[in-house]
Amino acid sequence: MKKLFTLIASATLLTANFVFADDLVPLKTDLPKPLFVGTPVQIDVPNLEPKLTKWPEFSVPAGSVNLAKAKKVTASDSDPVVGTLDLVTDGDKEGDEGSWVELAPGKQWVQIDLEKDANIYALVVWHFHNQSRVYRDVVVQISDDPTFSKDVTTIYDNSAAGKDRPYLESFYGKIIDAKGVKGRYVRLYSNGNTTNKLNHYIEVEVFGKPAA
Amino acid sequence: MHTDEAINAYITGQLLDGEKYQYDPIDRHGPALVELTLPIVHLEGAKKFSELTESQLRLVPVLVGSATVLLFAAAVEIFGFIPSLVAALLFAFAPLPVYYNRYFIHETLFVAATLGLILSGTRALLKNSLTSAALAGFFAALMLACKETATLHFFALGLAVAIGWRLRANGKIPSLKIFIAAAITFLAAGILLFTWFGQNWSALVDLLRAIPHLAARAGGEGHQKPFWYYLVLLAGGWSGSLLLGLGLAGTYFATRSFAKLTLAIYALLIYAVYCVIPYKTPWLALNFWLPLALLIGFAVERLWFASGKLSVRTAILIGCGVLGLLIAHDTRQRVFVFPADGEKNPYAYAHTTEDLLGLPVRLEELAQQNKITNPRIAVIAKDAWPLPWYLRKFSNVGYWQPSQATGEADFLITTTDVSDQLAERLKNFRPDFFGVRPNVLLILWSSPNTNSSHE
Repeated sequence: MKKLFTLIASATLLTANFVFADDLVPLKTDLPKPLFVGTPVQIDVPNLEPKLTKWPEFSVPAGSVNLAKAKKVTASDSDPVVGTLDLVTDGDKEGDEGSWVELAPGKQWVQIDLEKDANIYALVVWHFHNQSRVYRDVVVQISDDPTFSKDVTTIYDNSAAGKDRPYLESFYGKIIDAKGVKGRYVRLYSNGNTTNKLNHYIEVEVFGKPAA
Repeated sequence: MHTDEAINAYITGQLLDGEKYQYDPIDRHGPALVELTLPIVHLEGAKKFSELTESQLRLVPVLVGSATVLLFAAAVEIFGFIPSLVAALLFAFAPLPVYYNRYFIHETLFVAATLGLILSGTRALLKNSLTSAALAGFFAALMLACKETATLHFFALGLAVAIGWRLRANGKIPSLKIFIAAAITFLAAGILLFTWFGQNWSALVDLLRAIPHLAARAGGEGHQKPFWYYLVLLAGGWSGSLLLGLGLAGTYFATRSFAKLTLAIYALLIYAVYCVIPYKTPWLALNFWLPLALLIGFAVERLWFASGKLSVRTAILIGCGVLGLLIAHDTRQRVFVFPADGEKNPYAYAHTTEDLLGLPVRLEELAQQNKITNPRIAVIAKDAWPLPWYLRKFSNVGYWQPSQATGEADFLITTTDVSDQLAERLKNFRPDFFGVRPNVLLILWSSPNTNSSHE
């Protein structure tokens, strides 16, 4: 009897999940123009991210939009070396000077306030793409707490503590799977790059839907 | 250290380690820089390659650059006091010479030798001095032993002298003796320098082999730039345009004497030659910065003597003071604030990024963590420079081309475009990227048991 009940309950849940689940659609965004012929990565090694040669296939629930557009950005470096923090969410993804904000050397973060709780499915970040670079210790976290002292979900981590791999910057940006994590604040860390110790952000897009 | 500096450092290091000098006509230039460097680093206490430091090596161009400033004292007799003083000050404080007088490449020594040739050659012609002629021959040989491109300068100087002589020598014919004296010392000094004082006679044949290579190199080899590249480079910064303007005025005022006219023609010719050649790098601009500095001096001299009025001369001094401040700003920015930042400093051309300094540190850290006392490092890259310099303290480093099979190694260093034949070997290794130059990255592959950190 108990087994039958479990079976019926599971089947009901599965059906409900199927009926009410969001339709998945390909993630789309406007790409900036490429500024350099990329550094090729031909080594087919599982622990090294291949260089993107086309916009990768990635699906998000239908109705997902860029929630970060024109939202307020704060940072660990409140007085950037070059540019202003609003460049991170201004929609300009070009790689030329004037499109990026340059933060102080060493470990720094930028934080986007989405203004409301949201289910976040994907994040796309462009650090810098007019030169072949790798940004170090890239960590992306989502939280309801603006100080990120509690309820923090790490969705990407290629620092020593994380399992993600370093990647080469390109005009495609980097898509990060956020798996529908709920939260209002998105924080991105980096720790210099392979050209200098500075940190750059051209644009961050956060794809999701306001939480019900 | 720039890749070119690293190559020169490596050659010096090999000689310190007891290897014999071998002139390599492909990409290594002549032996003069190393011949001068070796005794200096010996005096500084260096005994082997692994002990060499950047400061020890860069002291050589610093000393040569300082000697160039002092050499302008010998220019007073030929070009006058004010032009020589202005040129000396520009060489001592302007960003271009100050920047490259700390670069361990041949350019500083080459420019010093060019100044020596101009001064001694002019003196030999004007005074029929055999000593000066012999000196001119020596400086010409020194130029050739620095860089084979000296032949371009010989052509430009020869043509400038011929035109200057025709226009300003009033029919005088220079004595044949001075040409013979110059030729004899040129040959003697050239042979001594190229053969490493009689130890490597094959260098003389190799020198001829350099010609087809240099011709190919002139085509660009990845360093092609537009005709106006040097103009933009020299006009850059707060002081560049003003200095160029004064140089242009100096060219106009330089028509009155043989020495000045010849220098102005040489300046224009050598500038044109370097502009026409597609291969361009910023340090080559030093070659026309030399005559330009004197031409600026001619302009200042002309202004100074245009009027004896106190007010006019006060205005000139104030103008020079303001120009000095602008130059100081540019020198500060390019030499001290952004010395290796190619995005903000045009002189930091394809410079090694600061990031690469972390590679040997990281290797030591990983070796220590894994308790490896003498790590075996395999570098697999088509072009591994400047790694031989940065890995000089590791005694067990091997270099392989991407197509070659490597030996056993504790750490591998690869470029990002090596073939995937290494995939099986690398599948459990952790990749750490390091920047080498703009758009050039290396990957250090280490065992997964080690901790990856760049803190």
